Amino acid sequence: MNRLSINPDYCKGCLICVDACPGKAIGASDRVNPKGYTLPAERDMQQCNGCKLCEIVCPDFAIAVEIEEEKS
Amino acid sequence: MTRHPMLKYLKEKGPAGPRMPTIMCPGCGAGQVLNYTLHAVDEIIHNDGTRKEDFVFISGVGCSARLTSHYLNFDSGWTIHGRSLPIATGALLANPSLKIVVFTGDGDAMAIGGNHFIHTCRRNLDVTILCINNGLYGMTGGQVAPTTPTGTATATTPYGNMEEAFDLCKMAETSGASYVARWTTAHPRQTIKSIKKGIGKKGTAFIEILSQCPIHMKTPPVEMLRDFKANTVSINKSRGHGEDKILIGEFCHMERPEWTEKYQKILEQFD
Ligand SMILES: Cc1ncc(C[n+]2csc(CCOP(=O)(O)OP(=O)(O)O)c2C)c(N)n1
Ligand code: SF4
Ligand code: SF4
Ligand SMILES: [Mg+2]
Repeated sequence: MNRLSINPDYCKGCLICVDACPGKAIGASDRVNPKGYTLPAERDMQQCNGCKLCEIVCPDFAIAVEIEEEKS
Repeated sequence: MTRHPMLKYLKEKGPAGPRMPTIMCPGCGAGQVLNYTLHAVDEIIHNDGTRKEDFVFISGVGCSARLTSHYLNFDSGWTIHGRSLPIATGALLANPSLKIVVFTGDGDAMAIGGNHFIHTCRRNLDVTILCINNGLYGMTGGQVAPTTPTGTATATTPYGNMEEAFDLCKMAETSGASYVARWTTAHPRQTIKSIKKGIGKKGTAFIEILSQCPIHMKTPPVEMLRDFKANTVSINKSRGHGEDKILIGEFCHMERPEWTEKYQKILEQFD
């Protein structure tokens, strides 16, 4: 399965990544960073098709997708 | 932790400490345009042998203008409000083989910098102008700009803007730019493709990217992005319908002699 990395130091909680994900693989979490921004999190990674839209649309370079095959 | 692939092009630390996260407000479109631009530049570097050293990024003043030397691990200059294009012109004349990319806000490009803008297009200088149009002066508090849509309330037009806005793409096209396109931050893949084309184009490439300032528009960024999708129509599909919508797409893509090439021909007469 693909995995998401969210950088809590760079993320500003805009949730643009959540809205951009075509499969709803990402969701808002109940984690809040020290600045008070709500962090996104993996919601249902079965729905991730590896399009990397979240990574492309993030204004803060705070989310990255690790594609399963890339590891092996 | 997997790191964002574009962080390799960014300065995360400077002499005075960390530079990231950026100064931009949460959900600001300027950061998205930076991400799209780096994706385009990354593809160019990987696919056609252009080196990182061949790029120069120049900006003026404004929130959108903060995208250059603060964060970019490229040759870059954060310069004077409205004057990014004269400085880009100087860099180009010093070394015509450079790939020059200018980040400019709508105010920077078309209010204080309007004259430089039309003359750069008229000369068809080989620069790529990425105009982050949020329809107001973001950095100074959300005042009305010559690009603010009619009726929009801003800090200085609380009853709605009564003026008409400039159409930046028409201005670029009629002034002589070789490549002219408009997209929005809600069109990531189209914007990346267009930036690649613009950088590859010999001559002035002007790409307007409608962008959200969620702070001064007092609207959540996700809502503004949805509105960009709903309120735009592609020039290829519009066929005269949807005049109430904003046209997006490529408006002009033509071959016109570029300034430094013409100048080189004159110099060659004296070899
Ligand atoms: C010569 C000069 N005049 C005025 C200013 C004040 N000023 C700073 S940013 C700005 C407007 C920026 O608007 P825009 O280019 O649209 O960028 P944004 O902040 O919206 O991205 C102004 C008028 C300045 N810095 N320098
Ligand atoms: S788009 Fe980026 S900054 Fe915004 S919530 Fe997602 S990871 Fe955080
Ligand atoms: S004021 Fe507006 S344009 Fe400036 S950083 Fe904030 S959201 Fe972006
Ligand atoms: Mg602006």
